[in-house]
Amino acid sequence: MTVRLLRYNRIDELVARLMESAEVIAPRYVDGGDTFYGPIDSASEVAWDYRTAVEPLKRFLLPQRETILRFSNEGKVEVEPEYDERERIFLGVRCCDVAGVGVMDAMYGGEIPDPYYMNRRERATFIALTCQQPDAHCFCVCGDAGPFLDKGYDQQWTALEDGMLVEVGSERGEALAKAHEDLLESAEVEHIAARHRLAREAEEKFGDFHAYIAAAMRQLTMNEVAPEVWEQAADRCVECGGCTFLCPTCSCFTITDRWQDSHGVRERHWDACLYTCYAREASGHNPRPERGDRLRNRFFHKVSHQWAQRNGRHACVGCGRCVAGCMAWAHMPAGTEAIRRGVMT
Amino acid sequence: MRNPYLPLLATIQKVKSETYDTTTFTLRVDDAEARQAFQHRPGQFVELSVFGAGEAPFCIASSGYGRDTFDVSVRKVGRLTGALHELGEGAQVGIRGPLGNWFPFEEVEGKHILFVGGGIGLFPLRPQIQDVYRERERFASVTVLYGARTPEDLVYRDELEQWQEQDGMTCLLTVDVATDGWTGNVGVVGSLLPKISIDVSSAVAFVCGPPIMIRFVVQDLSGIGFGEDDIVTTLERHMRCGIGKCNHCMIGDKWVCKDGPVFTYRQMKAMMEFEE
Repeated sequence: MTVRLLRYNRIDELVARLMESAEVIAPRYVDGGDTFYGPIDSASEVAWDYRTAVEPLKRFLLPQRETILRFSNEGKVEVEPEYDERERIFLGVRCCDVAGVGVMDAMYGGEIPDPYYMNRRERATFIALTCQQPDAHCFCVCGDAGPFLDKGYDQQWTALEDGMLVEVGSERGEALAKAHEDLLESAEVEHIAARHRLAREAEEKFGDFHAYIAAAMRQLTMNEVAPEVWEQAADRCVECGGCTFLCPTCSCFTITDRWQDSHGVRERHWDACLYTCYAREASGHNPRPERGDRLRNRFFHKVSHQWAQRNGRHACVGCGRCVAGCMAWAHMPAGTEAIRRGVMT
Repeated sequence: MRNPYLPLLATIQKVKSETYDTTTFTLRVDDAEARQAFQHRPGQFVELSVFGAGEAPFCIASSGYGRDTFDVSVRKVGRLTGALHELGEGAQVGIRGPLGNWFPFEEVEGKHILFVGGGIGLFPLRPQIQDVYRERERFASVTVLYGARTPEDLVYRDELEQWQEQDGMTCLLTVDVATDGWTGNVGVVGSLLPKISIDVSSAVAFVCGPPIMIRFVVQDLSGIGFGEDDIVTTLERHMRCGIGKCNHCMIGDKWVCKDGPVFTYRQMKAMMEFEE
């Protein structure tokens, strides 16, 4: 794949052009100083120096609540699906989040593609921004999802002294580079060397959080996790669902109907496998009545070998949001550590 | 791209009360072309919509042989099943499916076929019983053991009578608790097993019922020599999407909706949440 250089004084022009062709979603500072991904109105809104965004990209591909069907019920029932067909460019998004989309693709594509997800996905372009200063809770190095990526992006940008190094990772990324070739220069060998030096330096800046995913995978796969781990985790977890909603790869949903004026809508909503009623059946039977059962199910789905094999990779990208969001210290690093040691500390 | 969430419309042709809380609805897909394409096998299920009340999975309770309609039998337990019970002949519902895998048929040719049903667990077994009985010369024998809580809980009463009377098939009934007028067997469905003789070296059992009943019947069958591959059951889970996306029905690394709902005892034993 090709590599180019984008001088800093040309970025605004390029962003302005991108905004003409699509909705551009980029990191933005909001009141209070947090960073969220959202649609921008001008190039100046992009928070190029951000560390991580509070939420992943999930909601842009799988909204928290979306209408999937409309039906009328006057006389004969008529059912109509509803699709979101916006072209979107995700600009300056973190590598872990792009890797998270890769996990979602495996779940929502496959032999029975989900048309709502795929309609959005096929109209999405991902321009990743490599991470040179991980946040305190980050552990993407353990999740094989950063701080720089080898694949999975359309373009990957790295901030160098002279400008952005633009690595192309797909045909879509190449087409985008070709369309704006007049703003790009060829990258020199020293630019590429600088990118690799920065990647190495970034890897050395990670903090205290590690996720022993390989060790946890082994224990979960062999069904050799000490049962106390789940009891101890259950004692802490308050079942808020925060880890699942903040996770870039947690994508369980439920479906409900409601009436809106004269017609009905069928909607799907995010759901969380940690909730008591998640698997409960109409009869009242609940296959996972204990919170520990549900925590085990979640960790198994995230990092067991069985699921990694079905999905092409395990489902933790090390974004650190479960660490940031969990008020009970039952997040991925704590969970994998407990699975490895047989006790939750 | 085909939309797997888009239901076909179907019209209720017939409503038949089975017990005080269960009803069989006979449905026919409205569109002629879609009706032709709606080919199902015993063990499969549909996602059934009552528009405005929601959607839930129900097994297809009738053989597809020679019919362009199919039955779903439903116990009234909640909002959706309550709304369905309000509907009568001519009402439209939504159907997605057929979904999931199915019971082995050709694979068990020549064997002794045993069905063990508990309560409304007879619903998913019924199409297989109908298909096996229709072609009973392809099998060594056909036996149905069926139990319910009380005589009032026995479903498909007309058919049970036929099964008991017709040649080439054995059908024994039992209830946990007898009420006035019941002269038959009293006890759990496993208590019927000693009353039949079956060559377990060439037999297959299809089992469905509440989780606790499945557990005990599987123990009983294993005890008399049924192999792990020769005990087949169909699992029920909260299946929202039916296509392996929503993950509600997951057991370990299996989706009951897509990898099942039909599993052998050997497959069940390998599942994460299996309880001996």
